[in-house]
Amino acid sequence: MLDAADILRLESLQVHFPIQGGLFDRVLGRPAGAVRAVDRIDLNVGRGEIVALVGESGSGKTTVGRLITKLAQPTGGKLLFEGRDMTFVQDLSALRPYRHRVQMIFQDAYQALNPRHTVFDIVAEPLRSLRLVDNRTQLTDRVSEALASAGLNPPDDFFSRFPHELSGGQRQRVVIAGALAVKPELIVADEPVSMLDVSIRAQILQVLVDLRDKHNVALLFITHDLPLAWLIADRIAVLYLGKLVEIGSADEITFNPRHPYTVALRNATPQIGANAGRAELPALQGEVPSAARVPNGCRFHPRCPLAFDRCRQEEPPPIEVGPQHMSACWLAK
Amino acid sequence: MSKSTIRYSGRTRARAIKTFLGQFLGYGGAQLGLLCLVFFLVTAAMPNILVGPLQTAINATGDFLAPPSGQHLLGTDEVGRDVLNLVVHGARISLTIALLATVISLVVGTTVGMTAGYFGRWVDVWLMRLTDFFFVMPSFVLALVITPVVLEVMGRGREILGFRPSLFVILVVIGMTSWAFVARVVRSQTLSLKERTFVDRARVAGSSNFSIMVRHILPNLVPQIAANGALVVAGAIYVETSLSFLGLGDPLQPSWGTLLSLAQRAGAASAGAWWYLGAPGVCVLTVSLSFVLIGNALDDTFNPRRRVIP
Amino acid sequence: MIDSSQHKGSLLEVDGLSVDYGLKGVSSRAIDRISFELRAGEAVGLVGESGSGKTTTAMAIAGLLSPNARISSGEVRYRGNRLPIDHDAAMRPHRWSETSVVFQGAMNALNPVHRIVKQIAEPCMLKLGMSRGEANARAKELLELVGIPADRGAAYPHELSGGMRQRVMIAMALACRPSLIIGDEPTTALDVITQAQILKLLGELRSRLNIALILITHDLSVVAECCDRVMIMYSGRIVEDGTVAEIFAQPKHPYTRLLIESIPNPASGKKIIRPIPGDPPNLVNRPSGCAFHPRCPSAMGICATELPSLDKFGQGRVACHLHRSSQHDKVAAHA
Repeated sequence: MLDAADILRLESLQVHFPIQGGLFDRVLGRPAGAVRAVDRIDLNVGRGEIVALVGESGSGKTTVGRLITKLAQPTGGKLLFEGRDMTFVQDLSALRPYRHRVQMIFQDAYQALNPRHTVFDIVAEPLRSLRLVDNRTQLTDRVSEALASAGLNPPDDFFSRFPHELSGGQRQRVVIAGALAVKPELIVADEPVSMLDVSIRAQILQVLVDLRDKHNVALLFITHDLPLAWLIADRIAVLYLGKLVEIGSADEITFNPRHPYTVALRNATPQIGANAGRAELPALQGEVPSAARVPNGCRFHPRCPLAFDRCRQEEPPPIEVGPQHMSACWLAK
Repeated sequence: MSKSTIRYSGRTRARAIKTFLGQFLGYGGAQLGLLCLVFFLVTAAMPNILVGPLQTAINATGDFLAPPSGQHLLGTDEVGRDVLNLVVHGARISLTIALLATVISLVVGTTVGMTAGYFGRWVDVWLMRLTDFFFVMPSFVLALVITPVVLEVMGRGREILGFRPSLFVILVVIGMTSWAFVARVVRSQTLSLKERTFVDRARVAGSSNFSIMVRHILPNLVPQIAANGALVVAGAIYVETSLSFLGLGDPLQPSWGTLLSLAQRAGAASAGAWWYLGAPGVCVLTVSLSFVLIGNALDDTFNPRRRVIP
Repeated sequence: MIDSSQHKGSLLEVDGLSVDYGLKGVSSRAIDRISFELRAGEAVGLVGESGSGKTTTAMAIAGLLSPNARISSGEVRYRGNRLPIDHDAAMRPHRWSETSVVFQGAMNALNPVHRIVKQIAEPCMLKLGMSRGEANARAKELLELVGIPADRGAAYPHELSGGMRQRVMIAMALACRPSLIIGDEPTTALDVITQAQILKLLGELRSRLNIALILITHDLSVVAECCDRVMIMYSGRIVEDGTVAEIFAQPKHPYTRLLIESIPNPASGKKIIRPIPGDPPNLVNRPSGCAFHPRCPSAMGICATELPSLDKFGQGRVACHLHRSSQHDKVAAHA
């Protein structure tokens, strides 16, 4: 899907956080090592496409989201938005047009809302900061519109409320309204429903899907939940220890996973109604190693039930295993 | 009940403030502190109406070191001035100096602390070294150093902001030595606030660093600043008293500390003139205590585990 | 409420249990007349959203309610004996040796300055009167049982991963050979693969040691994987109780049905998002009648006024006017 319709393209984007050493090193600002939080990721998101980024904690999925929203700086690679290189742009005035078009939704809506601001001020903040409105009437209209799109009706009822006066679902809707207010073209949603009660999750998912259906907003949906990714996304990208191990259409990844890690993830996900083909691979042993000590060769090999010699020495490149389906595994061919 | 969400029916800021006041005034300490404070503020606001103009050696009305009587409720000093008159006028000087010094210290302390905490790295390192320098600076030494400078600049007889030069020095000295405490408290709070997700959200919303500091960090610092501000006032009153007691005050604008100093020099203690030492002493104690009580009550009210405005 | 013929063989009976929380003079009912029983070796999932009372129920059974909680009605019987659940000291002999709790945050429950083997050995010495040597041997045995090599016992809690720490918590819970383990969201903080490992371990231990399990969770699919029976709680009441197979195949209560439908299930092949309208109620303003009626698509007039009782229905129990009325109809038809 590497065509002109892509709104966002990541080309071997990477983040290596320096590890701070002792006091002496810190005073001199000398790094003692590096955490490879995100390691050469290639990913593209089309206009109006929903791509799910799936991984466990420590997979770097949140960092990828923060890189795209420019909350974190990459140390290498390229981040292209509509073909423009945004990799190292840091200056606020240069970032404003980008912020206008790329917004973010956070996992913990309670934390993401300033407890001292009213709902109106929260939703109006990007409109004011990005100078997208000329007067108060326009501002009120845009805020109302955003709240209504996020499902908070009637919007006026919420203007003067504080976050602690809202329910969990309403808070997440306010966060979404804040992102919607600027009419972005890409929204990064970092685990937007994982903190919500089960009965509220579908409401929020519906709002997000509506955004795409009605306004053609592209969505990068970050989650640890494979069935959820399948439900909402067009394509799924699976991250392991900072590296993309498999990417393909939601159905392909769910029903025909070709990377042993994806298979393990699918098998480990509890499901209602025992599903067939569970015992394809034995359950994984051990846990995700630290990103400061990434194994040589394929980084999954120490836990992989199918690993062989080549896996220990050579890192597998992404191998095409089907239409738009890549797997970084020597066995994928 | 794995997670309980407390919801309030109130919808406006006014309602939140009302709830806050309700809780704040629920503390006995806050009530007592506020009561004392209001009493002294009223006294300080209209000394001329309450006890007439400030008495000097020329217009003194009583005998020398006369004990309390119907005419002089708190007795007289060594030149026959009414102690009540002096104490009431002293309240004005003491409170004004303490409050103004606190304002200086809060403004400087908050600015430095917030900047250091927010930007981190070398900004933090250097600002905090500066803070440490002022933190350990003895106020008396600083006063001795800057007095000649101020006198040189202002001239001995001039007044600045209605203060005579020596009082202005005290004001500046207290401001300069007490902000470091505020800066440390504000910095540590800023460090945790800047990691909160709403700061990330503000950044994604396109807000500048300045706007994030003013609109997101500062309002959330208010509880800390308010609670510590009250303690800074209490400290400022003590420092003002001790500096004046050591003779840095101005006899033409006597504060409580100046009175204590005069009383001590007049041998009030050995002469048994307890009223002369006691009246300003009790005032200093009461006022600082009431600020401490208010500060503690504010701290309790804003305590994250019980606070009304989260 | 409880059929007296079933008293024999049941390990735990909860009978009409209500717990109120007092907060600043306002009293709110966290759980309302909860009744159920548990057979020895049975695994039951207690599923509900935040504020549904699932944690309160479990903590009441373990006698670990917070000081501002008050038991306003009902009792808990263990092997037929009434438990002094409102009396912390009186519950102490019972805890560990009969009922153990595995909490969500393993890091907070472990003491960071002691080696894990010592922390596991401690309850053995205190409760079973073992000598230090015996207790250490027992602790190593327990570590092996939960899949940690015995020599890792010398580690401190921070040296272990989240999954390992949760295994240590399980080993501690097993130390005094309890008959009932309460797992309070034991896998919620863990990653999917680690969660699967822990759930598998719990299942194995349960069948090997014949331990009954109450698993508290918000995640229905976790229950589907490792429990025999599931109780769905909503706003402090049990709304449905039945075997896992029955409830997932044929949920009776509309809330259960909507909850199951809202979980993405690739096996079904249907990519449809079905939102449940409204918000979960808070405990202070619980809706009248059936607490779910404002959100229920099948609500009738009676639902807003009358609280449906939790009646036997098929193999399980359900608290819904829809099903009660149909049962009444059947009874009427028979008559």
